[in-house]
Amino acid sequence: MTSARSIVVKLSPLLACLGLLAVWQVAALWLDTESFPTAWHALQTVPQVLGDPEQLLNILDSIRRMVIGFSLAVVISIPLGLAMGRSARVSAFFNPLLMMIYPVPKAALMPIIMLWLGVGDASKTLVIFLGVSLPVIYHSFQGAKAVEEKMLWSGAAMGLSGLQRMIRIVLPAALPEILTGCRTGLVLALITMVTSEMIARQSGAGNILFNAMDMAQYDTVFAMIIIIGALGIVLDAAFDKLRWRLVKWAEPHQEILLGAS
Amino acid sequence: MQVPLRPESEAGTGVTSGERARAMIEIASVSKRFETSGRKSHLALSDIKLTVDDGAFVSILGPSGCGKSTLLYIVGGFVAPSEGVARMKGAAITGPGPDRGPVFQEFALFPWKTVLGNVMYGLRQQGVKRTEAEAQSLHLIEMVGLKGFEHFYPKELSGGMKQRVAIARTLAYRPSVLLMDEPFGALDAHTRTRLQNDLLNIWERDRKTVLFVTHSVEEAVFLSDKVVVMTRAPGRIKEIVDIDLPRPRVRAELLLDSHYQKYVVDIEGMIDDGRDDAGHS
Repeated sequence: MTSARSIVVKLSPLLACLGLLAVWQVAALWLDTESFPTAWHALQTVPQVLGDPEQLLNILDSIRRMVIGFSLAVVISIPLGLAMGRSARVSAFFNPLLMMIYPVPKAALMPIIMLWLGVGDASKTLVIFLGVSLPVIYHSFQGAKAVEEKMLWSGAAMGLSGLQRMIRIVLPAALPEILTGCRTGLVLALITMVTSEMIARQSGAGNILFNAMDMAQYDTVFAMIIIIGALGIVLDAAFDKLRWRLVKWAEPHQEILLGAS
Repeated sequence: MQVPLRPESEAGTGVTSGERARAMIEIASVSKRFETSGRKSHLALSDIKLTVDDGAFVSILGPSGCGKSTLLYIVGGFVAPSEGVARMKGAAITGPGPDRGPVFQEFALFPWKTVLGNVMYGLRQQGVKRTEAEAQSLHLIEMVGLKGFEHFYPKELSGGMKQRVAIARTLAYRPSVLLMDEPFGALDAHTRTRLQNDLLNIWERDRKTVLFVTHSVEEAVFLSDKVVVMTRAPGRIKEIVDIDLPRPRVRAELLLDSHYQKYVVDIEGMIDDGRDDAGHS
């Protein structure tokens, strides 16, 4: 691979962003309505939003809830998913339960949860938790189910107990699949974070966005979309880097070379 | 009638102390029935009686679906027999243990561990110190011909190399018995031949007890002291053939040896290949 090509490969996400902004700019200039500011104008508003201490604290509140909700979901869902994948009984108990919860949009539960837990942190964190849990459980379940029986037998012959096999064989063997679930979960955490704040309008990034919408401050609206979008891209990229470090043993050979270059 | 001078534990077993010391594995009237859908059941193994002596290389040979692998899994403690009992050094087998080391056709390596990490795994599990486990493992890796590949991950290795790692990984924790389940079944002919030779070289050094499942007659005759020929479902022992060929065995000489050829032809005649000949189990 030539170095020129690898530079293009590395810069391609940036080029895609620039392309999108360019299309936005042209479209906004062409439509020329007040409710659709140009990309340039929205970008200029970003430092204003982040420079306002109150708005910044709001956004940080959102991120805090998202991190807590996501972490709790991962810590609880991975063991549950793995147990379901390896035990028919655990699976038989939880599967119908999860199948019922699965198609329900988690944000739709928000009104009930608000009724019980109020409009504060607890209900929003719970909704994020629910949104993240299902894909992580599902992928952990699939990953654990696919673990080769003979691999577990090999471990058993070495003297690993049932619990040791779970932690030292099933968990690492299922890790690529688990992390795929976590990556989906991370994006869902961001989505449920915004929607929860849209319903419980008390604080957070979603709150800023919809308040600005109500007051027809369209440049703030679009600046918030840029901020939330950028947050999603950065988190996803950071997570993918972490994932790659953890499961590079499972990646196809070529990707390792590409990643190492 | 009184039997004096006989330890109580052996009374009534009908096994003299001389025989008992030599018997490493004893399979006593083992049957295995699998439940299939619709309340039916499939008899995979029927009334298997087999004794494997300490230090013997015994192959179990049979057509696909004769339950030969199941028999091996019962000795490994991975599968429980429906009837009868398998014993290891006189004690009933109730589960897997480091005294019986399996090697599977599917390699079953830990893909998140390097070659060295895989080979060390059992030693570390048994509480051997890291430096000591590493030294022993490096020696084994060299013995199976993988020097220089210590830090490779399994996915970076060919099938033959993976099986070498699997063999080293099992040898590392020094099981009394090696349980090999068609270990070379997934390899191409050339690699297969090389691994057979290397396995024989390693085995002839320390004469571990080996129970070796295969569907290749040549492989069984080339490697074994004893070949157990099984029939198709339900799996029964049809015949046990002692392979009286001198060791160390050299393939090139053996292939021209009329005794070897006669063993192969005779045993091929014993196997009821039946109607279908579809692949291996």
